[in-house]
Amino acid sequence: MTKAYINGIGCISPQNSIDSEWFFDTINPAKGDYFDAIEPSYKEFIAPNLLRRMGRAIKMGVAAGNIAIQQAGIEKVNAIITGTGLGCFEDSERFLLAILNNDEQFLTPTSFIQSTHNTVGSQIALIMKCHDYNFTYVHRGFSFESTIQDALMLFEEGKETILVGGIEEHTPNFVVLNRRAHKFQELQSNTPIWKSTTPGIQMSEGTAFFVLNKTKTDKSLASVDGIQTLYKPKTSADILNKLNGFLKLHNLTLADIDVTLMGFSDDVNFDQKLQELLPSIEKESVAACYKHVCGEYHTASAFAMWTATKLIEKQMLPKVLAISDKAPSKIKHVLIINQYLGINYSFTLLSQC
Amino acid sequence: MISAIGNNVPESFLSLSQSKTGIGKINHLTTRYKDEFLAGEIKLSNQELADLVKDNNPALNRNSYIAMLAAKEAVINSGIDTNDGLRTGVISSTTVAGMSKTELYYKELFEKDEHLSVLDTHDCGDSTERIADYLGNVDYVTTISTACSSAANAIMLGCRMIKHGQLDRVVVGGVDALSKFTFNGFNTLMILDREWCKPFDENRKGLNLGEGAAFVVIEGEHALNLRKGKALAEVVGYANTNDAYHQTASSPEGYGATLAIQQALTMSGLTPSHIDYINMHGTGTPNNDLSESFATKAIFGNQVPKFSSTKAFTGHTLAAAASIEAVISVLSLQNSMIFPNLNFTTAITETGLVPETTLVHTPLNTILSNSFGFGGNCSSLIFKKA
Repeated sequence: MTKAYINGIGCISPQNSIDSEWFFDTINPAKGDYFDAIEPSYKEFIAPNLLRRMGRAIKMGVAAGNIAIQQAGIEKVNAIITGTGLGCFEDSERFLLAILNNDEQFLTPTSFIQSTHNTVGSQIALIMKCHDYNFTYVHRGFSFESTIQDALMLFEEGKETILVGGIEEHTPNFVVLNRRAHKFQELQSNTPIWKSTTPGIQMSEGTAFFVLNKTKTDKSLASVDGIQTLYKPKTSADILNKLNGFLKLHNLTLADIDVTLMGFSDDVNFDQKLQELLPSIEKESVAACYKHVCGEYHTASAFAMWTATKLIEKQMLPKVLAISDKAPSKIKHVLIINQYLGINYSFTLLSQC
Repeated sequence: MISAIGNNVPESFLSLSQSKTGIGKINHLTTRYKDEFLAGEIKLSNQELADLVKDNNPALNRNSYIAMLAAKEAVINSGIDTNDGLRTGVISSTTVAGMSKTELYYKELFEKDEHLSVLDTHDCGDSTERIADYLGNVDYVTTISTACSSAANAIMLGCRMIKHGQLDRVVVGGVDALSKFTFNGFNTLMILDREWCKPFDENRKGLNLGEGAAFVVIEGEHALNLRKGKALAEVVGYANTNDAYHQTASSPEGYGATLAIQQALTMSGLTPSHIDYINMHGTGTPNNDLSESFATKAIFGNQVPKFSSTKAFTGHTLAAAASIEAVISVLSLQNSMIFPNLNFTTAITETGLVPETTLVHTPLNTILSNSFGFGGNCSSLIFKKA
C-alpha cells in the first residue's frame, strides 16, 4: 500500500510550535474559552510586498508551508493541496461588513479577492511558480483529511512530492458570536478534557503543513500509512468496528499502536462516543489527547498529525498529552482518532520509518 | 440540475434547444443594483424551494435547497439505489456556501440571538452534508472549493476515487446560490456586464452572474454492471493545473488552461482532432475569453472544433458552472446538439475564433469542457458518448 513519507513540517498554533525545538515543554493556556494562534514575525518567510496585502490565514498558511518546504530542502512540489473549514474568514467578514455598513457602495476588491477558500493554495502556487495540481478541500472536520487522501492517490498516480496543509483562522467577531451561541466553555481545572460532563469547546485556529514524499529519503521523519473518514457513525461500537477494519488493512491491531491520539474537544455531547471508546483504546494502546493544547477547529487534525510526527521523531510522549498512566515503551505506530462536532470522525495512521 | 434555465433537466433542455436564456431582471436577490444589472436567477423563492424539497427546517438555506434538489434529481435519473450495500460518496463544491443567508442576518447577530444558527450553516460543508442526509446511506462526503473550477474538480475527484477502489459510485457536482456578497465582489472587480454577456465577442464587457446546482452520478463499471444499468456518458479525460500567474486574472497566453487541456487529452488517449465540440468556460470577461481563445489555438491550431459558451443561458454559476456544463455536455451527446453561444456578433480581433451561434444538429462523440477559476485553478474534462 502506498505510504506518504513526511519530509518537512511547519506548524503555527496557540503553542510555540513555530519553534522547531519546542516539544510541549511550555504550554500556553487558553484565553478563557478560546485560543489565538501565536503568529511569528512573517518577514522571515514572506516577501514584504506580498505580506502587506495578505490576510492572517494566508500569512499563517504561506509561512507554515514555507517552513515545511525549507525543512524538506526542496524547491519544487508536484501538487499543492490545502484544507480549510472556513477559509479566509477575516477577509470574507471584512468584505461582508463593508457591503452591509455602506449599503453596497465604496467597496474595494482586495478582501473579496482574498476571501476565496483556495487563496492560500494559489498564493503558494504563485510564489513557487507551481503549475501542477492544486486543490482545496473545505469540508468541516474532513478538510485536512481529504488532502491526505488525495495525496495518497496522487502518489499512486505517479507524483513524487506534495505539499499539504490545514488552515484555520477566526476573527474577534466570530469568537463573540459563537460564544453568544453557547458553544464555548473554559477548560475545567479539575476535570480533564477526556472526562468532560458539560457542553462547550475552546475555539481555536492554526495551520500545519507537510511536505510528503512518495519515497523515503534521509529527510523522512515518519510515514503516513493510511487515512479513513467516517461520516456520522451511529455508535462507538461502529467506530471501533471500522477502526479494527482500518488497522487490519495495514496488518495491525490496536495492540500494535503505541500511542493513540484522541480528539476529545471538551464538549460532552461531541465527545460522548470517544469517551465510550476510551476503555477499549486504553486496554490495548496508550491513549493521549491534544485539543486541550491546540483547541478545537475544523483542521485540528493537522495539528494532531504534526504532533504524531513529533512523537515518532522524539520517541517520547509528553506528560501533558497523556491520558493513560502507562508510558509507551517505544513509538513505532501512532494512530489519530479525530472527531469534529461528533459528526466527522477520522483515523490516521503514522509510523516510524 | 437547477438554474436560471429550468428547475430540472427536462426544463433546462427545453430552454437550451429553444435558445432561451434564463438571464434577466433581478427578482430575488436584495441589492441596490437590482435595476442596473441582469442575473441568471433560479425562478423560485426560498419558500417555493422549501416546498419542492418538502422540508421546512429553518436551518436550510438557498444553497442547500438547490443542492438537494439537483442531487436528488441526478440520483433518481441514474436509477441507483443507495440502500444496496455498495459504497456511495457525495463530493460537492461551493464557493460562497451559506453566504446568501449569512449576509441577511450578520449585522443583526451582534444584537439579537434569533438567527445565530446561521453560524452553523455558513460553511461549505453544510450543503454537502444536507445532500448526503437527504439521499441517505452515504458512506463518504467531502467538499471542494477552487473558485469557478470547483465542480470540475469534484467530477475529477469522483472518477479518481472510483478508480482507486475507494467508492463504487459517487454523486458529484457543485452549487452556488446568488448572494449580495458575490454580486458586489464581481462588481468591484468591474467584470460584470450590465447587459447580456457576450462570450467570445470582440465587444464583450464582462459576465452575468447566475446561480444553480448540478450533480451527476458517476459509477464504476462494477457497480454499473451489477445493476445492469446503462451509462449516459463516460469521463475519459481530466486534468487539473495552475496558471500561477495572478490571484484573479488569467495569463494572457492561457498557459494553465493550455496545460489542463493538453493533459486531459493525453490521459484520454485522444488527439485534438477527436474532439467534436468544446463547451468553453467563456465567461464573457475580456481577460478570460482572450486567454481561453489563445489556449484553444495553442492546442488545436487552425483546426479548432465547433465550440460555444453556454454561460449566456445560465449566467456564470461559479462553483456549479462545471457541473451545469457537464450536464449540458451530456445533453449534447445524447441529442446530437450543440447549444449556441448567444449574443455573439463579432470575433475577437487577436484570435478570430467564431463560436456556434445557432442550434447545431450534428453527431457528437467527444466533448471537451473547460473550467477556470480565481487562484489560477484550471480544469478540463473530456466526456465521451457511452
